[in-house]
Amino acid sequence: MRAKRLAALAFVVLVIAALAVLPLFVKKDNIINLASLALLYVALASSWNILGGYAGQTNLGHAAFFGLGTLLTRFLWLGGWPLWAALLVGAVVPVILALIIGAPAFRLKGAYFAIGTLALAQVLNVTVANRWPMITSLPARYLATYRLMPRYYLFLAVAVLTVGVAYFLVKSRLGLGLMAVREEEDAAESLGVSGLRHKLLAFGVSAFLAGLAGGAFAFYHVGYYPQFPFSPAWTFDAVMATYIGGTGTIVGPIIGAVFYVIVKELLALKVVEAHLIIFGILFILVVLFLPGGLLEVWSKIRSALGGRAKSRKAALPAG
Amino acid sequence: MRGKVSMVIAVVLVLSTLLAACGPKATPTPVPQPTTPPAQPTTPPAQPTTAPTTAPAKPAPEFIEIGASIPLTGKYGSLGSQVKAGYDIAVEHINAAGGVYVKEYDKKIPLRLTVYDDESDPTKAVSKMETLFAEQKVVAYLGGAASDMHAATTAIAEKNKVPYLGVSFALYQIHQQGYKYLFSPFPKSPAQTRDVFEVLNTIPADQRPKKIAIFQEKTDWGVELGKMWTENAAKYGYDIVVHEEYTPRSTDFSAMILKAKAAGAEVLLTVPAPPDGLAMQKQMAELGWTPKFTLMIRAPENVSWTETLGKVGDYVTMFAGWHHGEKFPGVDKLNADHQAKFGRPADLLTGPAYACVQILADAIERAGTLDRDAIRDAIAATNMMTVIGPVTFNPDGTGNVLNPLSQWINGKLELVWPPEHATAPLAYPAVPFDQR
Repeated sequence: MRAKRLAALAFVVLVIAALAVLPLFVKKDNIINLASLALLYVALASSWNILGGYAGQTNLGHAAFFGLGTLLTRFLWLGGWPLWAALLVGAVVPVILALIIGAPAFRLKGAYFAIGTLALAQVLNVTVANRWPMITSLPARYLATYRLMPRYYLFLAVAVLTVGVAYFLVKSRLGLGLMAVREEEDAAESLGVSGLRHKLLAFGVSAFLAGLAGGAFAFYHVGYYPQFPFSPAWTFDAVMATYIGGTGTIVGPIIGAVFYVIVKELLALKVVEAHLIIFGILFILVVLFLPGGLLEVWSKIRSALGGRAKSRKAALPAG
Repeated sequence: MRGKVSMVIAVVLVLSTLLAACGPKATPTPVPQPTTPPAQPTTPPAQPTTAPTTAPAKPAPEFIEIGASIPLTGKYGSLGSQVKAGYDIAVEHINAAGGVYVKEYDKKIPLRLTVYDDESDPTKAVSKMETLFAEQKVVAYLGGAASDMHAATTAIAEKNKVPYLGVSFALYQIHQQGYKYLFSPFPKSPAQTRDVFEVLNTIPADQRPKKIAIFQEKTDWGVELGKMWTENAAKYGYDIVVHEEYTPRSTDFSAMILKAKAAGAEVLLTVPAPPDGLAMQKQMAELGWTPKFTLMIRAPENVSWTETLGKVGDYVTMFAGWHHGEKFPGVDKLNADHQAKFGRPADLLTGPAYACVQILADAIERAGTLDRDAIRDAIAATNMMTVIGPVTFNPDGTGNVLNPLSQWINGKLELVWPPEHATAPLAYPAVPFDQR
């Protein structure tokens, strides 16, 4: 058991080390750009998974926290603040918003909670569009020194932090409480686990990490409308990446995000005319036949190799 | 059974990933295909007029690589397809003549255009621009469509120091960032806000309207136009009697329409997106306010305007950037080829897109090299005739180009200004809605 843990730890360290040295060996900006986007999606999907996968609350307003992080970081950074301070504000303010709206929102259950959070994101989307209609472009003086490498490392740091936080949260007593609330909230309450407290905590952590990812996006992107990061597409991308990989698992959102970004981009480059149709079909196939996400493939392979009972249990969707 | 199917799906997913990742390396961009087949032309390329005195220093590339990230799907898909058609036809025409003469290699080299679909998403557009730079090693970018897409793509062009020619955006703000590699042979807000008063001044003084209503969309372009219209109205001696703001995707414009009607406004200036423009025009008809002159940029630029509104859509004018009726060299050939491909003369954005390729080819020829900075400098020095008329550029990359005014008349989009290109005279004043 201990050997297995050590092997897993060594693998994680190896992956992070490989990602850390990637820009030293890959000099093409398109590859670094794609890797950056994959890391952004890892952070987005993993942060969504904390509330959606482990706490069982389908949050369709994730874009609100991502967008808020982007908006604040961008304006503060371009306004002359140090990047770290802008990132911090961009991560903390979404937490405050999550806590303010969380208490009433968690009175809603199931689909009503999902619709409520979707409405929140849309309200912010329209408000930001009205208040800040001008495009935010990086001026030429910023572009003169613009390099992808620092953006890539920022995305890497945010992704590692997000996955790390998710891992330690899930392994903690709080994580067990979250999963208890997900499985049967009334039963959890009867055992002294506060549903509201746990859900608020998950919401706050998820919002913090989404805001941080938004801040990294603000530092990365060269030009967009301020309301763009509030678009529902950011929420649905995170949800799709999580479902493709496997909800309620640590590895699932990582695999799903990488698959989602890289396969979609490769299809867009290779089959320009039909890439959306092909990717749509792939997604439908995954949802229909791999309800546990791509992680289930591993389970299938292990089952085929003999460890059927054990692996099937491990790969079942948590929700 | 389900387990087996899942296994099959898993294998399909893995294979599709591998398939997508493993493109043949011999042809860098198997998809999209170059717009003109890279096959050898049936006739040898025309030779340069002067014979070379020394052998070329290095072998010539097979193609001059150019590329574009265009919104072919998503909310700007209809604009992007017009732009792509212009690029495709222009590249075909140039390659049919053997390509572009490059003095550095002392030969004509065909253009190879790689187009990627950015799905109307600025983040995806950034990825595509980086791929065009790193993989295709383009010597110049051609632009996509819509202001926010250009804001993202022009910044990447600037970062990569690759010249960029783009149309389908009138937002002046993009040109105020200090970018050196951006060029746009397309009318911008300053021209659109000035020329409307030039057109109004062509109306005989005793019939000329004086009272203006501005319905300003709360977007960057709306704000920019609203400000410039206000400034120009004062300069040209017109009175703005109503200046109202509205949010994009509004459905009820009745309050501002009634306000304009009560104020006796005779001219409407506005820049709504298509659904807003349709709603606005319908409600104006329902509330019985017919401006004598309406300038509605953007919403009426598609044929769906007249298909949806019929006679209610008549008399509305717009600055669309170009019209297939313009009498410049090459327009007839462009229209003929567009007609053959799509069953209609060239679309409003197709002409300006075609002109981008003409300008680029001319710049490469004058630069005599495929060096990006030399091409950039040659584009800046452009002074040539294109299908959109004569083109020169200002230091901020905006083009000095014709800004034609079109008008829906009896369900047909006519070019009404300037008079030397007009396909019909300006229909003024507009007949009241209830008498059409």
